[in-house]
Amino acid sequence: MALIGETTGPVSPRDALMRARQRAALMPDCLVEARRIANTVISGWHGRRKRGIGENFWQFRPYAEGESLSRIDWRRSARDDHTYVRDREWEAAHTIWLHADLSASMRYKSRTAMVSKESRALLLMLAIADILARSGERIGLPGLLQPLASRHAAERLAQALMVEGDLPGLPEPNGMRTAADLVLISDFLDDPDLILARLKPLADRGIRGHAVEVADPAEALFPYAGRTEFVDPESGARLTAGRAETLGEDYRTAYQARRSYLGERLRQMGWHHIIHQTDRPASEPLMALYNTLSAGSGYRQAGGGR
Amino acid sequence: MSALGFASPLVLAALLALPLIWYLLKLTPPKPMVEVFPPLAILAKILRREETPAQSPWWLTLLRMLLAATIVLAMAGPVLNPKQAGLSTAGPLLLVVDNSWAAANDWPERLSAAGQLLDEAEAANLPVSLVLTASDRPDATPQAVAEARAQLTAAKVEPVPANRATLKTVLAEGLGSTRPGTLAYLTDGIGTGEKDATLATLSALGPSEIRLITGKDEAAVAVTAVRNLTAGTEVTASRLSTMPLELPVTAYDRQGRSIASDVIRFSGGERQAKAILPAPLELRNEFARISVGALANAGSVHLLDEGAKRRRVGLIGGDADKSERPLLSPVYYIRRALSPFADLYEPKDAALDKAVTELLAAKPSAIIMADIGKMPPDAVTALKGWVEGGGTLIRFAGPQLAAASASDPFATVPLRQGERALGGVLSWSEPQMLAPLPQDGPFAGLDQPTDVHIRRQVLAEPSPDLAAQTLASLEDGTPLITRRETGRGEIVLFHVSAEPSWSDLPLSGHFVELLRQLVQLSHATVNAAGNGKAEPLPPYRLLGADGVLVAPSGAAQPLNPARDGSGIATLAHPPGLYGSEDGYVAHNLLPPGSTLQPLNSAVPAGVTISRQSILGEKPVDLTPILLALGVVLLLLDGLAVLWLNGLFARLRQVTAVLLATALVLTLALDARPLLAEDGKPGDDLLLQRLDTTHLAYVMTGEQTVDDISRAGLYGLTEFLTYRTALEPGAPQGVDLAKDELSVFPLIYWPVSAAAPMPDQKAISRIGAYMRSGGTVLFDTRDQSEQGLTGDAVTPNGERLRQILADLDVPPLEPVPRGHVLTRSFYLMTDFPGRYAGGPLWVEAGQGTNRTSDAAPVSADGVSPILITANDLAGAWAIDETGTPLLPTVPPDETQREHAYRTGVNIMMYMLTGNYKGDQVHVPALLERLGQ
Repeated sequence: MALIGETTGPVSPRDALMRARQRAALMPDCLVEARRIANTVISGWHGRRKRGIGENFWQFRPYAEGESLSRIDWRRSARDDHTYVRDREWEAAHTIWLHADLSASMRYKSRTAMVSKESRALLLMLAIADILARSGERIGLPGLLQPLASRHAAERLAQALMVEGDLPGLPEPNGMRTAADLVLISDFLDDPDLILARLKPLADRGIRGHAVEVADPAEALFPYAGRTEFVDPESGARLTAGRAETLGEDYRTAYQARRSYLGERLRQMGWHHIIHQTDRPASEPLMALYNTLSAGSGYRQAGGGR
Repeated sequence: MSALGFASPLVLAALLALPLIWYLLKLTPPKPMVEVFPPLAILAKILRREETPAQSPWWLTLLRMLLAATIVLAMAGPVLNPKQAGLSTAGPLLLVVDNSWAAANDWPERLSAAGQLLDEAEAANLPVSLVLTASDRPDATPQAVAEARAQLTAAKVEPVPANRATLKTVLAEGLGSTRPGTLAYLTDGIGTGEKDATLATLSALGPSEIRLITGKDEAAVAVTAVRNLTAGTEVTASRLSTMPLELPVTAYDRQGRSIASDVIRFSGGERQAKAILPAPLELRNEFARISVGALANAGSVHLLDEGAKRRRVGLIGGDADKSERPLLSPVYYIRRALSPFADLYEPKDAALDKAVTELLAAKPSAIIMADIGKMPPDAVTALKGWVEGGGTLIRFAGPQLAAASASDPFATVPLRQGERALGGVLSWSEPQMLAPLPQDGPFAGLDQPTDVHIRRQVLAEPSPDLAAQTLASLEDGTPLITRRETGRGEIVLFHVSAEPSWSDLPLSGHFVELLRQLVQLSHATVNAAGNGKAEPLPPYRLLGADGVLVAPSGAAQPLNPARDGSGIATLAHPPGLYGSEDGYVAHNLLPPGSTLQPLNSAVPAGVTISRQSILGEKPVDLTPILLALGVVLLLLDGLAVLWLNGLFARLRQVTAVLLATALVLTLALDARPLLAEDGKPGDDLLLQRLDTTHLAYVMTGEQTVDDISRAGLYGLTEFLTYRTALEPGAPQGVDLAKDELSVFPLIYWPVSAAAPMPDQKAISRIGAYMRSGGTVLFDTRDQSEQGLTGDAVTPNGERLRQILADLDVPPLEPVPRGHVLTRSFYLMTDFPGRYAGGPLWVEAGQGTNRTSDAAPVSADGVSPILITANDLAGAWAIDETGTPLLPTVPPDETQREHAYRTGVNIMMYMLTGNYKGDQVHVPALLERLGQ
């Protein structure tokens, strides 16, 4: 009987070099695919006239007492007895932190999945980076790369990952400032309370989070049966089930309970929770992520909606 | 009784290795699949509840241990009921089989036990001497096994006891000086009494080995006696075993219905027991069969004949001088009446005293005296003693009795001297009929004789007891038959003579019935001490060995009750009923007072007898069974291992899908015949036409005409939709030869001479349509061509005549005044189309003023046919924009409006029938409207 799940890549976390090389080999593909998917997404949003941030006229509104006189649009005000202020679209570039969990548990891939979770997470991160970079957003990797606004941010990101190699399961809170977005891609299989304890300071600081939970279908469905020994890829712990099929029901209940608990708590923090399974195409979470980012971004709100 | 032996018991030592196997089995659990699983933390929370099996489940271990044990046991060659030592080869096998009544209930087992012995003899190539103790000619000559087996197979259980007396002779004759090897005695366990010498006889033959094979001795229970006591019927039964026992006792009547039952209790150690069936005497007389216990055999069933025994009847009274003229002799009538169901005995001597003596010697149940007035004192004394001892004396009156003195010793009631004549020449009274027979006496169940007239009788003196003594009386209440009980017997007197001079009674069927009842009531006399001259009785029904009465067959011979009736049943006289349907004697297996005695087990010293039961003796080799069990266990083990490894869990989905598919397929296959394909082409069109009312026109085949028709009906449809509640669907062109017509209320038929003539079939369909309530509106559209006179025959009119020639057209008339058509929606007087002035012809007799006497023929008063020449469709025809296609003649839009109104009225007339015609107040309404 063929095994249901496997760990892609080397098992030992200390073999950094091998992983770096493997990731380097993975990167171009990811980049290309990320580009392709990002193009799809952007084309879907074309015609929204968001190029040239901060340059476009948005609206005239009556001048209110106390505002700077320099903001008055005299040409408009001269046409009648009122004084108007010219409002423009959002001018400042937004900072978006990206983080993907690249721990050992992410390198899991089951038979029903297309790719491993790590591959999908990297893909998502690079793709969203590419999209955001083209929108002129500032993109950063917490603890690894300071925010930068560049058309080639995705390449820079990949380069940084190649050089640095590993990313911790959760982002370093250092350096992240207020009014930034954080895109967090992980499988969130650790204790939800630990995760939330790490994320809570960030949320308190005013950072808006977008948690993308990447799951393997085998993890959600538990298709195991018979006498099975389960091995944790991170800790190496082993667990033997006499008849795994009898556990399925309970496991799925617990799995969904953890997910809904996590999602509920994240929503309470004002964060988004996007669930993605690796047997689905990557464009789906990307679209969802893009929607939450664009709909919830500060400049969108400042602009008064579309 | 069953024993277990092993062919090679040493192999069983391998069972000692079982603990080692158990230890080994415990050590090797099945290897798990190793799976990487990141969410192990979640799984760990769930798995904590379940004990992780670190080794094989206990039941798997048990299964494997069982498997090992089974194989070890199978190797040891187990045999159930290991065979005894084989037959002695010193001489022939002597097989003595009791096929007596007590062996009936386990006869197949006995046969099988005997067959087994025969098998062994065949294997040892021994001759067999087979003796069936209850057969008529037992033969102990040694013979080949095959012959013995055939003889054994043909043997059946006989409803008689085993014949032990002749056994010695039979054995001596058959065997001669041959000493048998093994002597096997399949016995029923019943000995001949205290001095039973059966076993001694057998052992005297000097066999090498004696096997006494016994069956269930609980079956040997026999009814030995049945007696009538005052409290009830006493049943005595005897048995072989000495265990405390309770058995049901049931009495059955002649139809086999159980009418009384009780329980007979054998106390421990007793072989005899009695039970009393409490029942009234009348019911006891119905007893025909008494059975004991649940097992039916010849011994447990006791036959009774008390109610059915033929009575012996003595007959006195023949006048010697009347023997020349038998029809005047009363004895003649009595003899003819009783001879079918009673043994008649007539004394040879005519002298009364000698005749009575002779009669009483024959011990009759009843004596009939016909017209005996005076008797000699000796005869009186003897007869009186007999009557008081239980005899029934039946007397008939007559001239001599009438003349006898009142001191008649056998008179039932005090009699007046002389007789009473009814209906004579000098008498005013009419011959009397009998009153209904009292239903509480001996004649209960007989209906009232209506053909009997009593012309003369002797009269009883009135007395207080007279009514109680009267068994039958005349219509005026005069006693006709009286009775007196004396001692245990009774005297019955018929107050008329037994010949037809006094009454019609001797000629009536009731005479037979009355006598028969009286004789049946008389006590049956046991003629055990009789002279033995009684007729031998042929077998009537014989008791089979299974306790069931069957028709006689075989060797049963007629039974002389006096000689053979008291003995033990033999093959010549098996138990059963002897006689005929009218009277029989029961002959039972055991005579009264006999008991069942077990075989005397005392045998001469030095002879050992091995006893065994006929049951459960066959050795059974258990090795194949155990091996099969081992294979099954092995398969189970394999399945269990597969199951533990989760194969079935993965297969389950596939199996479920397969099962579901099979189920669906089965259902589909099953369901297919249920859905008979009864659709026909054109059904959907038909349904569509049924859903909505459509205006229809006949497609004549002429394009222009059909176009105008469709446009016209379209226009009318629009008009109807706009003006009325009727909203018809699109107009339908109808092909008369094919389309279903009955869905249309009205068919518009523009008659065109240029169109092809519809064929006969189409016209007959139109006829059927008109008969079934449809209406055809013929339009010849030629009003303008009819000229000034209007009676010129146009081509269209000619065509219409051709069409109508074959149709059943009612008498027609132009729409009369007051016709429903004139007011079914609009009030109209004429019905124009494109042309005005042409009449609209309808069926005659529908107008209010009855211009015609013809009664409406069609349902609801709707004319089946409308004929016009005004080209209605031409006036109605519009195009899609609502513009009229054709001008009216003369061009007058009012006329077109009236044409539409004509169409509306026609449609309303079609759909509502004579509804408008029903209105009682229409004249008043019209008057109010100024019409």
